[in-house]
Amino acid sequence: MKLWQIALVSAVIAGCCMGLRAYQRVADFGFGNDDSPTNVKAEFYWSRLAYNVNMQAFGGYGHYGYWGRFAWSRDYPKADRQFLIAMHRLTRVDGRPTEQVVTLDNDEIFNYPWIYAVQVHLWSFTDEEAKRLREYLLKGGFLMVDDFHGTEDWENFMNGMRQVLPDRRVEDLASGDEIFHTLYDVDDKMQIPGEQWIRTGRTYEKDGYQPKWRAIRDDKGRIIVAICHNMHLGDAWEWADDPNYPEPFASMAFRVGLDYIIYGMTH
Amino acid sequence: MLLSTWPKWLLPVLILAFSAGLAMLVRRRLRDASPKLQTWRGWAVWGMQSACVALILLLLWQPAMIVSALSSQQNIVAVVVDDSRSMAIADSDGETREAAAVATLQDGILSGLQKRFQVRLYRIGNGVTQLDGLNKLRPVETATHIGDGLKQLAAETADLPIGAIVLLSDGGENTAGMGGSGIGVDAVQSLRNRRLPVHTVGFGKVNRAHDVELEDVSVASSAIVNARLTATVSLKQDGFAGQKSTLTVRDGNKRLAAREVTLAPNGVLQTEQLFFSAGTAGAKTLTFEIEPLAGEENPGNNAMTLPMLVTDAKRRILYVEGEPRWEFKFIRRAEEDDPTVQFVSMLRTSENKIYRQGISDPSDLADGFPVRPENLFDYAGIIIGSVDADYFTPLQQELLREYVDRRGGGVLFLGGRSSLSDGGWGESSMNDLLPTFLPSGRNNFHRNSATVELTAAGVDSPITRLLDDPAKNAERWKKLTYLADYEDAGSPKPGATVLAQTNAGHRKLPLLITQNYGHGRTAIMATGGTWRWQMSEALGDPSHDLFWQQLLRWLVADSPGRVTASIPQRVLMDEGHVQFSVEVRDRQFQPTSDAHVTANIAGPEGTNALIDLTPSRDTQGLYQAEWAAEKPGAYLAEVTAESTGTQPQALGSDVFTFQRENGIAENFHVEQNRTLLEQLSSQTGGRYWEPSDLKNLPRDIAYSEAGISVRTTNELWNMPVVFVLLLGLPIAEWLLRRKWGVV
Repeated sequence: MKLWQIALVSAVIAGCCMGLRAYQRVADFGFGNDDSPTNVKAEFYWSRLAYNVNMQAFGGYGHYGYWGRFAWSRDYPKADRQFLIAMHRLTRVDGRPTEQVVTLDNDEIFNYPWIYAVQVHLWSFTDEEAKRLREYLLKGGFLMVDDFHGTEDWENFMNGMRQVLPDRRVEDLASGDEIFHTLYDVDDKMQIPGEQWIRTGRTYEKDGYQPKWRAIRDDKGRIIVAICHNMHLGDAWEWADDPNYPEPFASMAFRVGLDYIIYGMTH
Repeated sequence: MLLSTWPKWLLPVLILAFSAGLAMLVRRRLRDASPKLQTWRGWAVWGMQSACVALILLLLWQPAMIVSALSSQQNIVAVVVDDSRSMAIADSDGETREAAAVATLQDGILSGLQKRFQVRLYRIGNGVTQLDGLNKLRPVETATHIGDGLKQLAAETADLPIGAIVLLSDGGENTAGMGGSGIGVDAVQSLRNRRLPVHTVGFGKVNRAHDVELEDVSVASSAIVNARLTATVSLKQDGFAGQKSTLTVRDGNKRLAAREVTLAPNGVLQTEQLFFSAGTAGAKTLTFEIEPLAGEENPGNNAMTLPMLVTDAKRRILYVEGEPRWEFKFIRRAEEDDPTVQFVSMLRTSENKIYRQGISDPSDLADGFPVRPENLFDYAGIIIGSVDADYFTPLQQELLREYVDRRGGGVLFLGGRSSLSDGGWGESSMNDLLPTFLPSGRNNFHRNSATVELTAAGVDSPITRLLDDPAKNAERWKKLTYLADYEDAGSPKPGATVLAQTNAGHRKLPLLITQNYGHGRTAIMATGGTWRWQMSEALGDPSHDLFWQQLLRWLVADSPGRVTASIPQRVLMDEGHVQFSVEVRDRQFQPTSDAHVTANIAGPEGTNALIDLTPSRDTQGLYQAEWAAEKPGAYLAEVTAESTGTQPQALGSDVFTFQRENGIAENFHVEQNRTLLEQLSSQTGGRYWEPSDLKNLPRDIAYSEAGISVRTTNELWNMPVVFVLLLGLPIAEWLLRRKWGVV
């Protein structure tokens, strides 16, 4: 056998071995992975809403990069998992230790009656997606939105929200509202900053100087959309283990998040 | 009896001796007799000879019979003619029943009776009154109370020598309720005490030619607002088999529901169900009607009215949940739409925190699940979610058992990771409460999808009725989106009913199981995943909420309050006498006789009465009163109880309705009730007569022990039958011998 033939056979064999190895690593054989945290069946799934981005939010200049395209995944998945650890430790909710990403392009979202969305000033819905989210909320689903700041973000958020719930009024939540007293009594709330506080010492971003605890209710007065404007709870969960991030912010973020989950599971 | 002075025992001895002697003689001679006689024929000859000898011996002992006979013209025969409206029906060869009865009497029967007895004429309807002549009869009485009337007759004529009663009637008896039949025991006994035979003469056709009749309507006497109700309507028809008619229920002029029914074969009792909503709160008079068909003889029996009370009183349900979960949320939301329920919940959000919702006072459930009966028994129903049995102390477990058994409450157990067998309920003292035998182990809850289907019992159950049509309802359940999870609840206990089951893999598991326990009821809904019916069905689909509202209404509907009032019948037919019974319990649901109980009654034409109820001497906590509803119409009674003493405290109240109807029952069961007339005559020593067969009545009626009678001894030797037998037996033997050729 000539050398080139040996080399060719060796290359083919090596290629086959690598292909087999790669297949073994990624292929789903349908068994052997039941113990994976992502396969655990639970009552509660931390569900993060993945949405399409509204390009106009970037001034029409097409910042269509990673941060724009994947705006929904800010702090993902560390914030989600840190929060689930706290939920597991502090409540009796039977939650899966890993997050679940849900979208609005199919009915799978109806299996997850509690969803969390960030950077919602960037979201954009088709009519079908808006209808699906409206039905989701009116049937009993609960949406918590977080991490958008200032006047412009608010308007962009509301553009999407008006498409989903055109006739619903947004109201400011009083401290005595039931949603702040389901598990913890959160009376004295503060503005919860993102991790930029470590670098800047500012609790606000853009012109969002005051925290806005807001909500949209259904016909029976139950909160269906909990709005955390001018704050960033997701970062507080994500950076809770950073010694430079103040503990009071993180603690309160956890308490509010848990209150919102218990509210969503009881109202 | 035997008149001879010879010893009576000698007669059977001699009969046996002669028979035996003949038998021996026959047997000895059979050997030499013709072969034909050596078979059964020989013994037939022996039988006839023995019978002949026995008859001769019997006559030697002088048999006789003692009979009582009414003395001529010293006794009275009461001729009683039914004077009720049903006697105006013209089904006796073109004339009315009453006209036929009068004609029968005038056709020699009355004169025949008058030759032997004094005759008094009476008419019977609501009561009995004496008549001067037959021309006074008018079939207008609104009811027929045969039993009560004859009892009244027996009492009023106690000092008269009544020898017999002749009753001419169609047998319609209203005392036993709508068109009911049966003469009261006390009426029969009063006739028997006087040995008064009642000879009945029946008029009217026994079978109807063309008629549709409502036989009965069964529907709850009370309901909560907007409850979905089922009325079971029984009907019979003759002459319209296979035709279609419409069954309706109305509240006044408002039609609540209607459905087309196909009439069953002639004379067959047909049962149909009608579904309707109770509507708003208030006392209602429901009219159930089967649409009259062309050519119907009696359209007056096509409708019935029943009173019903629709209340908006809130019933409290306590939901105990061991962990936050979606089922909790969506059951709560379903019940928030039910105005008749106050939904109280306690949810363990963390190991040491309980989140309470729906409480009336901040102190409610502040210490967790109640430990005192007066706190727990205030709830009409309890739901136990994913909670370990160990969460309840032994005292609370016993309280829960008493809650169902003694207080009469309802408990629903849900499936979950800490429910049923997985929550250790099978090993707890509360296992007895459950309607199933739980499986062993603690791995019977599965977070896997499962579809649902109804069982045969579930198809007919109001709990699982999402659609009124049973077939469509069963299909709807099959098409419901799958459950998020299910639990193996084991096998149903005897007496439990499985209404729905899950298709989990290749297995069918009971899903919804109900049973009665003590004075209350328990159920299992072996899943925590019905919330998907809300989230995954179309927006506005009522399946989830409707099911839970119906299930929880069933759970609490029969849970009694501390004061519960009842009456034997809610429709009083042609008589207003009514007895109220009220059970009063204290806060621990123990019967109390230390109460002041009053009933405030409002009725038609401004009727208003306030009566005190008196405690029963036999039953503690029971209070009774009798009252008369004089006017026809609907009545509403509110019963209130308060403790006695210097500072009376309200113990509770209850409201109920009843209705008096005049002349309605007479429209039902208008065919001749021959069975009743035959029973009445046979129970009193009389006889049932056909109108065409009455010529012997004046003679036969003379044999009676009532009135002034003489006892005569009649010897039997000269009866024609004796001579026929004495001649007939030897002749028959001779003829048979001739036939067999062995003369």
